[in-house]
Amino acid sequence: MSDLANPPTAAPPSTLRNLVLPILIAIVIFAVVPAVLTSFGRGYFWQIANIALIFVLLAASLHVVTGVAGLLHLGHAAFYGVGAYTAGLLASEQGMPFLVTIPAAAIVTAAIAFLVALPTMRLVSIYFAVATLAIGQMIYLVLLNWVSFTHGPNGVLIFSGLEVFGIDLSSPIATYFLVAVIVSASIVLIHRISHSYYGNALRSLREDDQCADAMGVRTARLKMEAFVISAAFAGIAGALWAHTTGYISPSDFDFAESILILAMVVVGGLGSLPGAVIGALLLILLPEVLRDVGDVRNIMVGIVMFLSILLLPKGLFGEVSALSMIRRQFGDAWRRDENGKGIGWR
Amino acid sequence: MIDPYYLQQLVIGLSLGMTYALMAIGFTLIFGVLNVVNFAHGEVYTIGAFASLVLITAVAPPFVAVVVFALAIGALAGFSLERIAFKPFRRFTDEASLKSRAMREATLLSSLAVSIIAREAIELLFGSQQQAVPFEYLINQPIHLGPVIIVTGDLIIFGISALMLIGLQFLLTRTHVGLSIRAVSNNPLGARYVGINVDRTIIMTFVIGGMMGAAAGILVGLYYGVIFPAMGFIPGVKAFVAMVMGGLSSIPGAVICAIILGLSESVAVTFISSGWADMVAYGFLIVTLIFFPQGLFGARRERV
Repeated sequence: MSDLANPPTAAPPSTLRNLVLPILIAIVIFAVVPAVLTSFGRGYFWQIANIALIFVLLAASLHVVTGVAGLLHLGHAAFYGVGAYTAGLLASEQGMPFLVTIPAAAIVTAAIAFLVALPTMRLVSIYFAVATLAIGQMIYLVLLNWVSFTHGPNGVLIFSGLEVFGIDLSSPIATYFLVAVIVSASIVLIHRISHSYYGNALRSLREDDQCADAMGVRTARLKMEAFVISAAFAGIAGALWAHTTGYISPSDFDFAESILILAMVVVGGLGSLPGAVIGALLLILLPEVLRDVGDVRNIMVGIVMFLSILLLPKGLFGEVSALSMIRRQFGDAWRRDENGKGIGWR
Repeated sequence: MIDPYYLQQLVIGLSLGMTYALMAIGFTLIFGVLNVVNFAHGEVYTIGAFASLVLITAVAPPFVAVVVFALAIGALAGFSLERIAFKPFRRFTDEASLKSRAMREATLLSSLAVSIIAREAIELLFGSQQQAVPFEYLINQPIHLGPVIIVTGDLIIFGISALMLIGLQFLLTRTHVGLSIRAVSNNPLGARYVGINVDRTIIMTFVIGGMMGAAAGILVGLYYGVIFPAMGFIPGVKAFVAMVMGGLSSIPGAVICAIILGLSESVAVTFISSGWADMVAYGFLIVTLIFFPQGLFGARRERV
């Protein structure tokens, strides 16, 4: 997917201020977190960091379809599962290298999303949610019951280590860097998709798709594209999951997982990409912090989700403040007239 | 001459369909009144089953008392569900915001969140493994009807469900409560203008839906003899499918479609493995959404 959707590289009127936050975030991801984790020196923490990054990507991908395009998607984990199974089966049974399985997972997932989207994309609101719920469950049932192909409930073990261009990357720190690079690149792509002219068109679908249709926006096609793009990123996340954990089983991709991803997007704030990232980090890391209290991971998800809907209906980082933050700090796509006044997304 | 085995499957399918119907009615009533989908309905089913199991192991009451207790618990669960997950989001009373999109999504997500909390709380209390129902409460004594063998549970489930459906019909068409429920689902603002207490009517709707769901939960629990925290999810989805097939706000439609679902599932198990049988319901749902977006029995709707 990454070679298809390269962001346009027109020279932006990039000020120094526009670079501060991206560089800070990059330092945190690529220097501070690895340094801290190395000082702890436990493999388990690396695993948590990888899972957190994978869920950041999942939440960001759901953000495209549910947050920006406003289509309530209740089967996202199924596409994540398709990606994981594509990568897992290719790696374990065909011995494909990592560099092949990641794009393969994205392409297969996007293709399946395209097929299921063909009949269902004209549905709106709750009907769409129901249809995605049914599709998610159908994919889950296929993963669970097509034993000869997916190994059913036993799952798939992936023995082949991570290797890129002949360099062995199976040590925890190397795996973390690999995941971090792929997730960061995907997040940048999602950022450019959702904060652009194209993203505005998707937002118009959410606000009033009939009106957008009347204004000449091709609503059916845009919905389809948002759905497929989101599924492709979920597929990449699934492939990363398969390679970092080394074991996949259908129960990793059931309805509860879809709800977990949805909860991340809702808690962070519908329509806000930084919100989705924060929501994912919160819902993955909070249960780990509370691990000593008991097995409260899932109930925490429910409580955090309920409280955030009740007390913060806009989310932790609402769309409006997120958009203005992005304009100020990541504003290289924000077009200005010759007086330097902002006029819109490029 | 039909093979008796198929007749047997049809009887099982009919009682299965009746339990889906009980669940689907709860969904349909609540959708009619509030225009929202109550995702926590499956947990009412689980709560009914678990509360009755606790009663059975504690005092070993007669069967009728168990069912009555389940109804009471269901009413309580419906009431608390409305107060916790729906009331806080009904900040405004005009029709535009009562049926607005933001309101629908907020309550949909809050009911999802409450359902997670309820299920996980049950799991923390009882553990995630299956609980066995005491042997003497199982409703599976075989009855021989000529070549067909059915169990008492089929008859009991069918009887109780039919009784509750008739009771519901009486309640909706012959009582003041039913009249106000129908009025609110027709036009909440109009109902308020003619002096109906909309808030109380909404509570009554949840109470009735909760009773139906909890009764279905304990009947199925006693029929199969196992009760576990995640038991409500699959029937919840099936009932939801039945509601959508029936056209979202039509109660007879939901009941008929629930029975069709139950029958086709139990017939499907004879041809395909039971793991794939759930596919039937989802297939039905997708086909309905594509070809009959109004539902099989629904009133005309502007857009789907």
